[in-house]
Amino acid sequence: MFFHVTLTLLGGFLQTVKLFVLTLVFSLPLGLVISFGSMSKISAIKAPVRFVIWVIRGTPLMLQLLVMYYGPGIMFHANVWGSGDSGRFVAALVAFVINYSCYFSEIYRGGIQSIPVGQYEAGKVLGMTKSQIFFKVVLLQVIKRIVPPISNEIITLVKDTSLARVIAVYEIIWEGQSFIKSAGIIWPLFYTGIFYLLFSGLLTILFGQIEKKLSYFR
Amino acid sequence: MIMLEVKNLKKSFSSTEVIHDISFSMDEGETVSIIGSSGSGKTTLLRCLNFLETPDGGVIKIRDDVLFDSNAEEPMSEEAARKKRLHFGMVFQSFNLFPQYTALENVTLAPSILAKGYGNPDITSIENRGRELLADMGLSDRMQNYPHELSGGQQQRVAIARALALNPDILCFDEPTSALDPELTGEVLRVIKDLAKNHTTMIIVTHEMSFARDVSDKVIFMDKGVIAEEGTPEEVIDNPKNERTIQFLSNYRNIQ
Ligand SMILES: Nc1ncnc2c1ncn2[C@@H]1O[C@H](COP(=O)(O)OP(=O)(O)O)[C@@H](O)[C@H]1O
Ligand SMILES: [Mg+2]
Repeated sequence: MFFHVTLTLLGGFLQTVKLFVLTLVFSLPLGLVISFGSMSKISAIKAPVRFVIWVIRGTPLMLQLLVMYYGPGIMFHANVWGSGDSGRFVAALVAFVINYSCYFSEIYRGGIQSIPVGQYEAGKVLGMTKSQIFFKVVLLQVIKRIVPPISNEIITLVKDTSLARVIAVYEIIWEGQSFIKSAGIIWPLFYTGIFYLLFSGLLTILFGQIEKKLSYFR
Repeated sequence: MIMLEVKNLKKSFSSTEVIHDISFSMDEGETVSIIGSSGSGKTTLLRCLNFLETPDGGVIKIRDDVLFDSNAEEPMSEEAARKKRLHFGMVFQSFNLFPQYTALENVTLAPSILAKGYGNPDITSIENRGRELLADMGLSDRMQNYPHELSGGQQQRVAIARALALNPDILCFDEPTSALDPELTGEVLRVIKDLAKNHTTMIIVTHEMSFARDVSDKVIFMDKGVIAEEGTPEEVIDNPKNERTIQFLSNYRNIQ
């Protein structure tokens, strides 16, 4: 039984990790693009970007998942997600990417805006171009400042992936819960908790290492 | 030989004119001090020279090279401003060192980037020059330290070496010791004095009157965006004629 449960949970965990990794791969860079939009001097760019960030951060991810999956079909009669498991997975991934990009963009914006203007001016009077100032002077300072909030967000994402079950993405908790009905046992649910603890523990160590790597300057 | 010529310089922020019609010139190798009360436009003047602000009017000339002319056909591009800035070095009140680089890297970063732009960076000679400059600043044993490991006085000396590394025609200082504890101002003023002895062309905004008197060939007193009085230190600091200069300097006499 233990072996069977482990195998089933591993299958669910694979879905969880897949959703987690792909969400990060897309939302970390997309967040940077969105943060530039939200800091744009052109209000025709800045205003709509800030509006979208407000909507996404102001509504539950659960709601966004449901609207993302059912919305296109019911509102526009468009089957954009394809059918079956893979379709639901893609819909969940898109909802997660949009949601997390917006959260990351706010962290990036905070980090970029926290760099004192004197750093830019020192770069300018030394004859550096805007992009040289960004990449050689500002970027590493921004990274140092955003590592703690980004790691919080990423550890939240580990747990948020479980929300994908509302559109029947068979992540690990879904699989764990299935044993209540099929075998009348609760311990597989606790077992899923161990997967989460190990995973987030691993990430905590990793981010701790990164913070330590960047602690050589202030 | 005339190094810098500023004519009818003007700068406003929104509707308030901060620099009204300032003209002055300085020779190569001269040290000019700018004194004046807070808010009189000293920082803004230096920022205009470094093109951190675009002047609204006037002409800035280095030797025979017109860097800025408000009557020019087209506005100055970002790229043009970047090149013109290199005529000036700037040392800020708050140092503004790059925290993720060592003292030496702070000094060599910009020269290396520029040299790469020209295609053949001679990194060894750039580093040697950086070491030399830091040694001149009395920082031979601090080259590998990061800014947060240095005292304010040491940080400001790194900032001076960093500005000198690009061989500017004119080095500008904006209250270089104002952010320092009193016991650290001496070491910074001393290296500036050494630079003056070696005929580095400098413009120094300062509140250190006895330093200004010792180091300057010329002193400019600014008041409300204009030059109210200028001349030798003996003229302006020791025997001011203008009512406002007398008023301003009396604050310092009282303290001393
Ligand atoms: N970026 C700015 N925007 C608006 N006003 C400014 C700006 N920079 C300076 N000022 C104003 O210009 C005046 C002169 O400032 P500043 O050049 O810093 O004087 P100083 O360096 O002599 O103390 C002050 O009244 C200041 O408030
Ligand atoms: Mg000032």
